Amino acid sequence: MKVLIIEDNQELTRSIHDFLGREGYICESTGTLEEAKDKLGMFRYDCVLLDIGLPDGNGISLLNLIRAEHKESNVLIISAKNALDDKIIGLEKGADDYITKPFHLAELHARIRAVYRRKNLGGASIVAFNEISLNTDTFEARIHDTLLDTTPKEFDLLLYFLVNKNRVLSRQAIAAHLWGDYTDNLANFDFVYQHVKNLRRKISAAGGMDYISTVYGLGYKFNSK
Amino acid sequence: MKLTTKFTLWYFGIMLVVLLIGGAIVYYEIQWKISRVEVVRHERLNDIIAQQIRQGGDYTGHPTRKRAMVAVIPRDSVPRGVVTFYTRGVDWNPEFQSNEYKLVVTSFYTINGLHYRVTTYSFIPSFYQLLPGVVDSFKWILLLLLVLVVISGGLISKYILAPFKRTMRVIQSFDLKQKESIRLPGTRTSEFRELNEFLKKMTDKAREDYQSLKEFTENASHELQTPTAIIRGKLDLLMESDIRDEQAILIAGMQNALERLSRIHSSLTLLTKLENKEYEAREPVCISRLTRETIGSFEELMQMKALTLYSDIEEKVYVSLHASLADLLLTNLISNAIRHNMSAEGKGIIRVRLHRDGLVIANTGHEPQVPTAELFERFKKGNPGSDSIGIGLAIVRQICDLSHFDIAYQFSSGFHILAVSFNTRVPASKFLQNFSLPLH
Repeated sequence: MKVLIIEDNQELTRSIHDFLGREGYICESTGTLEEAKDKLGMFRYDCVLLDIGLPDGNGISLLNLIRAEHKESNVLIISAKNALDDKIIGLEKGADDYITKPFHLAELHARIRAVYRRKNLGGASIVAFNEISLNTDTFEARIHDTLLDTTPKEFDLLLYFLVNKNRVLSRQAIAAHLWGDYTDNLANFDFVYQHVKNLRRKISAAGGMDYISTVYGLGYKFNSK
Repeated sequence: MKLTTKFTLWYFGIMLVVLLIGGAIVYYEIQWKISRVEVVRHERLNDIIAQQIRQGGDYTGHPTRKRAMVAVIPRDSVPRGVVTFYTRGVDWNPEFQSNEYKLVVTSFYTINGLHYRVTTYSFIPSFYQLLPGVVDSFKWILLLLLVLVVISGGLISKYILAPFKRTMRVIQSFDLKQKESIRLPGTRTSEFRELNEFLKKMTDKAREDYQSLKEFTENASHELQTPTAIIRGKLDLLMESDIRDEQAILIAGMQNALERLSRIHSSLTLLTKLENKEYEAREPVCISRLTRETIGSFEELMQMKALTLYSDIEEKVYVSLHASLADLLLTNLISNAIRHNMSAEGKGIIRVRLHRDGLVIANTGHEPQVPTAELFERFKKGNPGSDSIGIGLAIVRQICDLSHFDIAYQFSSGFHILAVSFNTRVPASKFLQNFSLPLH
């Protein structure tokens, strides 16, 4: 997948670059609106990560251009402003999703995948790995052909693991993914532990391999090998 | 009290004082004048009698002698330096058979070497008889003035205060968020012109301050969130590298602190936005549906904590609230009820009741260590050891204040009860009383 990162902060760009690079994505980055326009004029991208606050203008103005000339590109807005207005305007102008800083890189990746699935894979929204397959339309998880009885959060969690295979997912990142930003509840990571435990138990019961392991002190990891 | 009424009353008071003093002056002036006129007449009469004595002849029975007394007195009885004097007093008037006010004028003359004392008198009207007349006339004057002041006060104030009232109307419709400065009507009254100039300056300043505060909030949000995002990203990457267990613990500590930092920051930013009234209700939101959805999204957590939920949600309850705020309100209240619940298996209970006038959420839990009202303050926690940042209820209260909802919090018989009243006429505390604890 080819990704264009439009973000003025070099360090953040590098982090995203590194993380997505390991997933095999081809990333290009730019810090200004002008350069972004040039790049968009010359190349095709599957996904554009767009920071709203750029030194030479508001990133939202780029949306029009992207929508006019790059219909197939997914646009994910990255903003430090948690302002609802930006969110609504962004989505109205044709952005596919919106993520606010500070985000976990795994979360960003999950969002990129979700947007990509929604748009590029048509109706066939199956995420599969070995014996596990998830249907993101019907929220059905299967091990081989056995239907897994998962709760919505467990399904969400499994999908998050599958998208971020071989990555250490911190409890914070998992909690933020499952319950969103504003719940102060996240402080209680017991819930994360419980969810992961239940999920592992259900997968094993259905005859699946136990891919999920605990990473000491940090969180969990879905091991593909 | 209205300004006009105040002015009128003051004028009336001043008029009363002035008229009282004026009445006294008039009274004494008349009294003095009457005496003076009478004294002058008698002095002239005494002079005429003295002239008659000089000319010689018998004047007994002459009209001048009707109330006169002429006496020759020894030289040493003549007072020195005094030609004439008068006395006043009440005396018997035989003509009218009553006690009347009597004026006696005594003059001394030296005619042909003899010393004469000529005394004449007359009865004049008593001053006391004048008093009612004076009082009467002043009463009428007072009445007339009062009527005039009241009528003119109403009319003139309407005319004079018109610019003031127009200014008031403009100020009442003033909104900090408005982009253009206020337009006040022109006036020729210098005080009002000053007031208008002052108001214009003040509102402009307030608007500018509001704008810069808003910009600051947004900038602070932007500038702080980016470094936080970088730290978080780097930590995410660091986690993936080959690390030892003790390093993992260090990273986890940083992750936790970072989580708190970003949560505190976004909560504070949100509170500021709420205070700046950036989220205004555009259309009524169906709180019944939202409550059901929020409960649904927390169902798994409740199951994990083995909490029993009793909910009683009235259909189609609409409140005037921004949808995001309604969501935030419910999320905070319900997640609070879950988090601060009993941890013992099967002991925890959550009760949610929504009806047209309000929302009541009750949960079992430990007794708070600080008064419940203080828990609405920022960074106040019922249990200081808990991991939460203690800002959820502050946000809830801010949302309630903003929407003119009343909120009350009480701990009784092992239940934390939080009530929100959507109806301004019904205080939230009423729901606390009505929230009977026996479960259905």
